[in-house]
Amino acid sequence: MINNKHISSIASGIGLGSAGVLMMSVLTGCEAPQQEQQNRFLVIEQQTNGKYIVVEEMPTEGPSRAIIREKDANGNTTERFMNETEMKALAEQEYQKVQNGTSETVQDGGGSAGMGLAGTILAVAAGSLLGNMIGNSLMNNKNFAKNSASSNKSAYSRSAASRAKKSSSKKSFFGSSSRTSSSRSYGS
Amino acid sequence: MVTLQKLNPLDDSKLEELGFSWHTDSDGSKYVSDELVEISSSEAEAYYTAGNEIYDMYVEAAEYVIENDLFFDLGIPFNLIDIIKKSWENDVHWHIYGRFDLAGGIDGEDIKLIEFNADTPTGLFETALLQWALLKHNNMDEENQFNNVYEAISENFKRLITLFDETSKFDSRYDGWKILFSSIAENDEEEATTRLLQQMATDAGFNTSFEYLENTHFDDNGIFDAHENNYEYWFKLYPWEDIAHDEPELATTLTNIIQNQKAIILNPAYTLLFQSKGMMKILCDLFPDSPYLLKTSYEPLDGIKQVEKAVFGREGANTKIINADGNVAEQTDGPYDNYKKVYQEYVEFPKDVKGNKYQAGVFFAYEACGMSFRKGSEIMDNMSKFVGHVIV
Repeated sequence: MINNKHISSIASGIGLGSAGVLMMSVLTGCEAPQQEQQNRFLVIEQQTNGKYIVVEEMPTEGPSRAIIREKDANGNTTERFMNETEMKALAEQEYQKVQNGTSETVQDGGGSAGMGLAGTILAVAAGSLLGNMIGNSLMNNKNFAKNSASSNKSAYSRSAASRAKKSSSKKSFFGSSSRTSSSRSYGS
Repeated sequence: MVTLQKLNPLDDSKLEELGFSWHTDSDGSKYVSDELVEISSSEAEAYYTAGNEIYDMYVEAAEYVIENDLFFDLGIPFNLIDIIKKSWENDVHWHIYGRFDLAGGIDGEDIKLIEFNADTPTGLFETALLQWALLKHNNMDEENQFNNVYEAISENFKRLITLFDETSKFDSRYDGWKILFSSIAENDEEEATTRLLQQMATDAGFNTSFEYLENTHFDDNGIFDAHENNYEYWFKLYPWEDIAHDEPELATTLTNIIQNQKAIILNPAYTLLFQSKGMMKILCDLFPDSPYLLKTSYEPLDGIKQVEKAVFGREGANTKIINADGNVAEQTDGPYDNYKKVYQEYVEFPKDVKGNKYQAGVFFAYEACGMSFRKGSEIMDNMSKFVGHVIV
């Protein structure tokens, strides 16, 4: 037993913060201690390609719910409300597809241009709709995590107009980088 | 002699569930050893003290380099000198974490500094989480480890706000500033390392996000993710010297961003001074009596066995072991041959019964905070193995 705080603070994973929860759950094969799951209020918008992305996301005290904004055959925007039960049903349906490997949420690059409605809902709210266990295990899938991030445009969202204007002078780099190998690299 | 304890290994599927996918090396061998190095508590204390004292020496040496304009000697790219100086001038450019590679420390052997990975250290996931999991998986007391890494780095993120004050003041001073974390796409190890750092910062209380380097946008007004959200802090797991050489326009933009105080970049540019192996020559000049330093020079050393290294070499590439008679005993090639060379007195690593050699990696985040080992042969390269430790 080491008593010096500067040598060890990792008893029972307390010093591992939120990482400790996952570590413990994987090692013991048990479900991680349930955290209070934050329910979500989502605004999900259909894109011109027919796919959906989340444009607003707010934590809510009440049950999870969503506004679905779609275009009808005449190009008019319609809005419909979806309650938690309906969202859960869609998320469960998509989760079935994850398990048999057909869900676009676990495909590489699936979410870059939005996904179907069920996939979008699962991608952004799996934890609050289906529980932490499923949410965490999905987020450990790299493609899912990537699709989850790219199907959610709500964070600190700004108007499309200001976005277009601002981005005109900005540059991105690293396009030709050769450091894309999967081997261990910078350790020296 | 290094004493080892045999372990039941974690199988690959469990490792992957933990988010650790780089468990197998390119030759098919396991990267994570199924043994632990035994150390005593006094050896752990000695590694702790060494990490703290060596860091203090590096800080003094960096000040000396800047005052005396010795950037060329260290091989620092000219287009980073300005940003290095600017980052050094203000404490808000806080060094989050680094890793010292050390020889010795076991069986009464003196601890000797091999080098300081101050800019983009990996081995973090393995040290902070995996070696803890190995003890837990084997029903051992997980407190018997020098391993505060997760908590120490999380606390050090808070110091971006509190600086030298108590980190308990973070909550009252933090005003929602956001940190963007970036690594290159399609490199699992770097991404997992970067996302782990993000998790540590989130636990500290920061708003954080992740964006691949390729999708991160820059102009003189700041740093933006793919959705044009602006960030006050940017952590990049990408070497400063590679930005200087491969993306010189970005080096200029980042210098302007620092000048205009639009964002703070982590690890700060001055960590490239620490990263340069040329610093070990400066350390020798400034602290000739330090027990931690091996004799190091910009010229070949006379009459002793020595190691030639590139100032910004990584993973043992472009390294030569030269015998006292001048013959090359062993050498590796690699992409770093264009960098300046330094010559460091040779030291034996501790060995196990099979003759494998062990190098200690001590992590530093405001203070020394944990350690692990790498096992390999004469030159530790990217086929070296990760070995956890236990305090007995």
